[in-house]
Amino acid sequence: MTDLNSIDCDLLVIGAGFAGMVAAARASHLGLRTVLAGNSGSLIFVSGLMDYLGVYPMDAKGVLDDPAQGLACLQSENSTHPYGGISHEQIIQCFEFVKWILGKEGLAYHLSPGRNLPVLTAMGTFKPSFMVPRTMEKGSLLFGEKKRLLLIDIKGLQGFSARQAAGGLAKTLDEVICLTVEIPGITKTIPPIILAELFEDPGVQESFVRQVLPFSNRVDIAGMPAVCGVHDSLGIQQKIEKMTGLDLFEIPGIPPSIPGLRLKNAFEKRLAALGVKFLSNTRIKDPVFNGGKFIFTGVTDSGKLSISAKGAVLGIGRFFSKGLNAGRDKIMETLFQLDVRQPVTRSLWHGTNFLTRQGHKINQAGIETDQRFRPLKKGGQPVFPGLYAVGSILAHNDWMRLKSGSGVSLVSACTAVDDFYQGVTKAKI
Amino acid sequence: MGKTIETQVLVIGGGATGTGIARDLALRGVKVALIDKSDLNAGASGANHGLLHSGARYVSSDAEAAMECRSEGLLLKQIAPHCIEETGGLFVAVPGDDEAYIADFPRMCEASGIPCRPLDLKDAMGMEPCLSQDLIAAFEVSDAAIDPFKLSIENLNDALGRGGEYYDHSCLEEFILEHDKIAGARVLNTKTRETFLIKADIYVSATGAWAGRVASCAGVNIPMVYSKGSLLVTGQRMATRVINRLRQASDGDILVPGGVVSIIGTTSVRTDSLDKIFPSVDEVDLIINQGKQMIPALGNRRYIRAYCGVRPLVSAGGDGDRSLSRGFSLLDHAGDGVDNFITITSGKLTTYRLMAEKTSDMVCEKLGISSACMTRDLALPQTAGGKWTEPGVSLRQGAFSHKKEDHTLCECEMVPASAIDSIVSSIRKNSGKPDLLSIALRSRLGKGPCQGSSCSVRVLSHLYDRGEMTGTEGVDGLRRFLNERWKGEHALLWGTSLAQSSLKEMIHCGLFSLELESGE
Ligand SMILES: Cc1cc2nc3c(=O)[nH]c(=O)nc-3n(C[C@H](O)[C@H](O)[C@H](O)COP(=O)(O)OP(=O)(O)OC[C@H]3O[C@@H](n4cnc5c(N)ncnc54)[C@H](O)[C@@H]3O)c2cc1C
Ligand SMILES: Cc1cc2nc3c(=O)[nH]c(=O)nc-3n(C[C@H](O)[C@H](O)[C@H](O)COP(=O)(O)OP(=O)(O)OC[C@H]3O[C@@H](n4cnc5c(N)ncnc54)[C@H](O)[C@@H]3O)c2cc1C
Repeated sequence: MTDLNSIDCDLLVIGAGFAGMVAAARASHLGLRTVLAGNSGSLIFVSGLMDYLGVYPMDAKGVLDDPAQGLACLQSENSTHPYGGISHEQIIQCFEFVKWILGKEGLAYHLSPGRNLPVLTAMGTFKPSFMVPRTMEKGSLLFGEKKRLLLIDIKGLQGFSARQAAGGLAKTLDEVICLTVEIPGITKTIPPIILAELFEDPGVQESFVRQVLPFSNRVDIAGMPAVCGVHDSLGIQQKIEKMTGLDLFEIPGIPPSIPGLRLKNAFEKRLAALGVKFLSNTRIKDPVFNGGKFIFTGVTDSGKLSISAKGAVLGIGRFFSKGLNAGRDKIMETLFQLDVRQPVTRSLWHGTNFLTRQGHKINQAGIETDQRFRPLKKGGQPVFPGLYAVGSILAHNDWMRLKSGSGVSLVSACTAVDDFYQGVTKAKI
Repeated sequence: MGKTIETQVLVIGGGATGTGIARDLALRGVKVALIDKSDLNAGASGANHGLLHSGARYVSSDAEAAMECRSEGLLLKQIAPHCIEETGGLFVAVPGDDEAYIADFPRMCEASGIPCRPLDLKDAMGMEPCLSQDLIAAFEVSDAAIDPFKLSIENLNDALGRGGEYYDHSCLEEFILEHDKIAGARVLNTKTRETFLIKADIYVSATGAWAGRVASCAGVNIPMVYSKGSLLVTGQRMATRVINRLRQASDGDILVPGGVVSIIGTTSVRTDSLDKIFPSVDEVDLIINQGKQMIPALGNRRYIRAYCGVRPLVSAGGDGDRSLSRGFSLLDHAGDGVDNFITITSGKLTTYRLMAEKTSDMVCEKLGISSACMTRDLALPQTAGGKWTEPGVSLRQGAFSHKKEDHTLCECEMVPASAIDSIVSSIRKNSGKPDLLSIALRSRLGKGPCQGSSCSVRVLSHLYDRGEMTGTEGVDGLRRFLNERWKGEHALLWGTSLAQSSLKEMIHCGLFSLELESGE
């Protein structure tokens, strides 16, 4: 197999989910020769919200207003959580980095350092998040303020009903009005992505505005599903705000997610600008560590290639992304066959109540690392010097309960890459 | 105290037996009210294998039950063909199975009058390619598959059409006893928390495993033991026929087709609890490890759901639970000092009609009515409400025409909006309140591979749009739906199922944070 196409780089980032994207951006930003391999399609599932820490401890009543408080509590308990060795300031810097990267591609995010934001979801619940798309920002101001709200749904868009999103709001707000907007020509079901593209059409925007305008005196603010354009969503939103005289915000819902698609597009563009080589739709297999270097095989539909790298960042996700695989009796990591921290038997994986606040033990399973995110061997030593694990594959982080998903991903990705970079530069000196 | 309802007969329990009795009595011109503490087939009738027994399974343990199954099975194929798929069945043995039992099997079948044809092993494997290559014996019998949901819905609909009444989520709380009689039944609507009174001449408890509890409300003691049985649903149908293991009844030894899926089971675990039960990881593994001996592919199959039911066994001693008689118990409590109270319990789905007939005979005798049972001859009518319970039915029958605006709300199971609407209106007709659980009970919603991740949300928003739901009813109902479905999922989560279920958790906890505001 010597005639394989081959690539050489400083760092191979494996997995093009959110964590992998951040790692690749960070690495190339630092000047490392970076290759990213994987399928960025998984971003279409993510809500676009970036949580830091919304609940801690898991069985706490209520949610955290200030994530730093939860972090302090987590650290005072010597928690094994991935945030265990990282300061609040470092975490904020990582968020700011991601905000900056995405901002370069016109995808604007908002965060207020000392505070979580309650984000209204399509289900009518409030989700505590930290860094949110600017197009969703105003929705988080609903809480506490007496306001008159217009909730808009769109005929043909399944899984989003204004009445449902309004569900519990009638109690807290002065007035909630629900409106169904019809998009000209749409009589049947419309996939969210097509709808979002339609929203870029000025004709569609005008028709939308015409239907909303009669309510502009009766309400202060309007919410709609997150389909307000694929590109330049904020620009379109601001335009509609001007035309209606209303504040507007988007509401996240079930996948496929347009805010996720916007992330995918923004990351892909930025990485290209930064000179990252992106092997999309490439699966990485058969890692070999030899003479201080990794050699991987990249497999695509059309063939194979060989990638050699000084370091590797493993951001291959959990079960849904096939980074972890569970048989009937055991959970395995699928690329390096690293040790997976896990409950002793399957009967402990899940509790009998799905929506338990304590979460399921299997959600804590994953790769254990040191504070620099290097996977550890049984004895506590790093498995390989240049190997890092980042994102949702990490152990001790039930992100769905802690509301810490993207936060842990971006913090682990930045921290791991920084550590690798320091190692490389030290070696050069 | 709320309203009072008067009727001739109150039937408690909306399973196969209770709905069967309601129809039988309605056909005889008797006025009947049926109540269930939750909804149709909430008990064993919604948690069984769906096997219309040829009787062959019981030839060794219970010849009487075997013969009942044989004759009732034949009859049901005549009167309710739309609820039955005449699959035929096989009995197969693998190395290690009891040779004496195998040798004796044809003779035992003959003794009970059950047709049974020995098969050449090659032929058997040709008929069902999923079978193990190592078979040592195979016989063909006339087992069939029955859709218990359709069956109960059709029985109920016919009873309703003949003047019967049905109250779901109506739990019998108390009997008002006067002298040697029940004078009234106090019933709690578990949704509205209102209590009402039902006054009847005769009270029939068709409450299956709960029969002992209900009887105790009338001061009557029925000694019972409970045996839990679990079943697994495969992602795809694995065989054309029913496949039974040719041995004394044991674990994981029957595979029954159910439309586009197959169901493998079961187990037998003593239990004291009737309500907080779910299939355990150990049972799941037991079923798979046993089942794969006769059907190797069960070892690496994708399972989409597990469920369990409780067999009520009126205790009579004996060693294992399976050796207790599965014939039915029809008890006239006049002997216990309550003249107008009857219990019918135990038995089988296959024999529900016979159980209903015998019970109705006893009711009529007490009422002094002489009209004869008609369910033997009168076909069970087919109504629209009974559709959509069989997995994937839409793919094959197009039972609901797709109008231009009719969009699919559940993609795995192809349930269109019009089907949801028609189910909702039939729930409303019975003065029920539609929510995800009651809709799922009447359709395949949430039973496909996505486990209800997104179709639940699509159906909810559809219901809001139609004004069928308001306020926070939707989220509350979604929580109940997810937690209820979970009972049948959590023991089956590995491989692809785990991946799918993790997406569900990412959406409903990760994003919607449904666990945060839950009242529980
Ligand atoms: C439905 C949903 C809702 C969410 N909501 C929120 C939210 O509200 N707030 C929030 O902060 N976060 C949210 N998240 C995001 C979640 O936090 C992210 O999924 C997580 O932070 C990032 O995961 P990851 O990049 O580690 O893994 P993933 O996103 O799972 O990506 C892993 C990638 O690795 C690839 N891969 C696997 N094996 C290989 C291989 N051998 N070779 C190459 N590639 C491979 C996979 O194909 C996949 O693309 C949500 C996610 C989902 C799915
Ligand atoms: C695991 C398993 C597999 C089986 N497989 C088969 C098979 O393949 N073939 C076959 O023929 N038979 C099978 N059976 C047997 C068959 O399922 C049952 O015999 C049959 O369904 C019993 O129906 P039922 O109506 O008598 O009782 P149930 O279906 O249990 O109905 C009782 C009803 O009473 C209601 N109720 C209880 N208490 C109250 C109250 N206080 N107030 C109001 N309502 C109340 C319950 O909600 C319930 O709906 C199986 C049984 C089990 C457990």
